[in-house]
Amino acid sequence: MTLKQTIEDNHTILLKKWFQATIDTYPAQSAKILGKDVDRFDNPVGAVTRESLEDILHLLASDYTSDALEKALDPVIRIRAVQAFSAADAVSFILALKNIGETVMDSSFFREFDRMVDQVLLAGFNRLMKCREDIFLLKATESKRRIHAAFERAGLVKELKEEDLLGSKKS
Amino acid sequence: MADEITPDELLDKIDYGTPSGDWMDTTKSVQIRPGMYCYAAKAESVETLGLPNARPWNPVEDDWKLPDDWQQILHEGIKERLERFRTFKIFMDVCVRCGACADKCHFFLGTGDPKNMPVLRSELLRSVYRNDFTTAGKILQKIPGGQRLGGNRPLTLDALKEMWYYFFQCTECRRCSVFCPYGIDTAEITIMARELFNLIGLNIDWIATPVSNCYQTGNHLGIQPHAFKDMLEFFVEDIEDITGVDCTPNFQKKGADILFITPSGDVFADPGTYTCQGYLILFQYLKEKYGLDVTWSTYASEGGNFGFFTSHETMKRLNAKMYAEAKRLGVKWILGGECGHMWRVIHQYMDTMNGPADFLEVPVNPITGTRFDNAASTKMVHITEFTADLIKHGKLELDKSRNANRIMTFHDSCNPARGMGLLDEPRYVINNVCDNFYEMPPNTIRENTFCCGSGAGLNAGENMELRMAGALPRATALKFVHEKFGVNTLGTICAIDRAALSTLCEYWVPDVEVAGIHELVGNALILPGEKERTEDLRMEPLPGCEEEE
Repeated sequence: MTLKQTIEDNHTILLKKWFQATIDTYPAQSAKILGKDVDRFDNPVGAVTRESLEDILHLLASDYTSDALEKALDPVIRIRAVQAFSAADAVSFILALKNIGETVMDSSFFREFDRMVDQVLLAGFNRLMKCREDIFLLKATESKRRIHAAFERAGLVKELKEEDLLGSKKS
Repeated sequence: MADEITPDELLDKIDYGTPSGDWMDTTKSVQIRPGMYCYAAKAESVETLGLPNARPWNPVEDDWKLPDDWQQILHEGIKERLERFRTFKIFMDVCVRCGACADKCHFFLGTGDPKNMPVLRSELLRSVYRNDFTTAGKILQKIPGGQRLGGNRPLTLDALKEMWYYFFQCTECRRCSVFCPYGIDTAEITIMARELFNLIGLNIDWIATPVSNCYQTGNHLGIQPHAFKDMLEFFVEDIEDITGVDCTPNFQKKGADILFITPSGDVFADPGTYTCQGYLILFQYLKEKYGLDVTWSTYASEGGNFGFFTSHETMKRLNAKMYAEAKRLGVKWILGGECGHMWRVIHQYMDTMNGPADFLEVPVNPITGTRFDNAASTKMVHITEFTADLIKHGKLELDKSRNANRIMTFHDSCNPARGMGLLDEPRYVINNVCDNFYEMPPNTIRENTFCCGSGAGLNAGENMELRMAGALPRATALKFVHEKFGVNTLGTICAIDRAALSTLCEYWVPDVEVAGIHELVGNALILPGEKERTEDLRMEPLPGCEEEE
C-alpha cells in the first residue's frame, strides 16, 4: 500500500474532514451556512471550496506538478484572498490536512504526507500572492483604463505611453 | 405536501450549542479593514451641498471629528424618520429574525461575515431603535441583563462605527427583500442609515464628490458642457469611420420630440462609450426613417443620481434638473438610457418628489403608436422598452450576423429588475440582435439576480476586496455559462454594471467581456446609406472580416 493509494482509499473521509476544517475558519454563524451542501449558486463559497479541495486530493493521489496544484487551488484561494483573512489565515486551511491525515492513515506515512502537504502549502502561497497582485493591479489601473482611456481616444487628454517613455530614455 | 419539513428534519435543524459570545459585544472590537471601506467624503464636496459637518476625517482614525451632540442629532434624526416614513417604522418593528434573508445577500455569501446577513446588518440599527424608541426597550434597560434580553443597545461610538462600516457594505440591491416573508425592504433601512450618517457628516467620497459634481456641473464626473459635447462629437467621428454615416446629435434643441438622458458613464467610461455610440446610431436611424427628433442636453447630462445614496432631499435636488430641462426645451416626454439606480429613482420616487410633470405628455412612441402607460406619471421611458417596442413592430432593420462573434448572457441589474420589473425587454432586444444567448441559472437572474457588488456608490477603487467578494455569486453563475456554453459577453443595462462587471470579469472570469445592449443594437442596425461595415463599434473586425485586417 502506497501513500497515494491510501489517499485514494480515504478520499471521502479526508474530503469531509478537510472541508469542515476549512469552513470552520469562518465565524461560527457563517460556517453553519457556508458548510451546507446546497445549490452551488446559492452557496458559492461552500461549493467552490469543496470542489477545490476535492481536486487537490485527486491530484495528491496521482502524479502532480506544482503548477497543477496551483491551478486546483486557485478557485478557493481566489475567494480567500478577498475575504477578511490575514495572508497566513488565508492559506492555513492547507496545514489542517496534516492533522486530518494523521487521523486516517498509518503513522509510517506521516512524514511523506507532511512533505506533500508542504508542497500544497507552497503552491497555495504562490497562488495567494498572484491573487493579491491581481487585486492591487485592479486597484491601480481600473479608473485609468475605464475613464482615462475614453478621454485619450477622444484626444481630450494626452499622456506619454510606456513605450514613449522608454524611447526617450534611449535617445 | 412534498416540500413540508418532517418533525425529525425540523429537530435536526435546532442547534443546542451555546453561542460563544453575545454578538453585540463585538462592537468593542469593530475592525475597519482596508479594502472593505471607502474613503471619507472630501470636506469641499460636503460643503458644496450645504450638508452638515464638512471636515477632513479618516474612518481608520479613532477621532471621527463628530459634532459634540452627535447622539442627540441621530436620536432626533431617527425619531423624525420614524414619523415621516411608515415603511421605516414597520421595518424596525416587524422583523422576527427568521433568517430567510441571511444567505441571500451577495456580500454575506462573498465575505462570509455574519454581520453582512441582511437581518444582522439591520439589527445593528434595530437594536438602537429598540433601546431608545420602544416601551419594552426602555423598561428592559433598567433591569440587570434586560438589554441583552431585549436585544437593545445604546448608541455608543463603537455602535455607530460598526453601523457605518456595514451599511456601506450594502448595495441596496433588495435581493433579500424578495425572500422576506414580511416584505421588509432592507435597502430602505440602508437608505435611512446613510441618511442619518449624513446628518453628522459621515458620507463616503465616492458618493459625496459625484453628488457635488452633479449639483455644480451637471454630471457625476464633473465634466463641463463643452467636454460632454466634444466626447459625443468624437463618437460621431468614430461612427462615421465605421458606417460612413454622420450621426450628429441635437443638443438642447427646443421643440424636439424627446429629451434623451443617460448616465454620464456612457459618455465618459469604457465600455459604456460603445453603448453611447449605439444610442447615437439608433437616433440617427429613427430620424432618417421616421423623422423622430431626439435631443441631448449638456445641462441634464446625468441620468444617474447618487443623491439617492445620500438623502431623499439630495436625490430630489439632482433629479429636478431632468424635469426642468424637459420643460425648458418643450419636449413631449423623456427617454432614459441604460442605467440601474437611475431607474429606481425614476420609477419609485421621481413623480412624488418632483412631479406631477403635467407639462409633459404620457409617452407614446410616435413610430409605433404604443402608449407607455407604465410611465404615465413619470413621463420617462427606458430605452430598452422603447427599442423592444420598435423591434416588435418591425420598425428596425437589423443584421444579427454582425454580432455573431458574441455568445451572450444577460445580467439583470438590480434596480431595473427588482425596482421596476424590467425583465423581458432587454432579453427580447438581445435575441433580436444576436443569435447566441444563454441564461445564467434561474436562481441568479431576473427577480433573483445577484448584484454586481459595486452598486449604491460602492464602485470605488479602495474597497476592491469588498467589491470582488460581493461579486462572487454573480461571477460563479457567469463562470458556469462561460464554461458550459462558451459565453464570451455579459450584456447589461446599467452604467455602473458596465464598469463594475468589467472588473469582476478580470478577476473572476477573465475571458468574458461586458457590453451594453445598445452597443449590440448599434452593431446590428442597418443605417440608411451606410457603407459596407467591416468593424464593430469597438473597431474590431466584424465576424467574417477578420482576414481583411
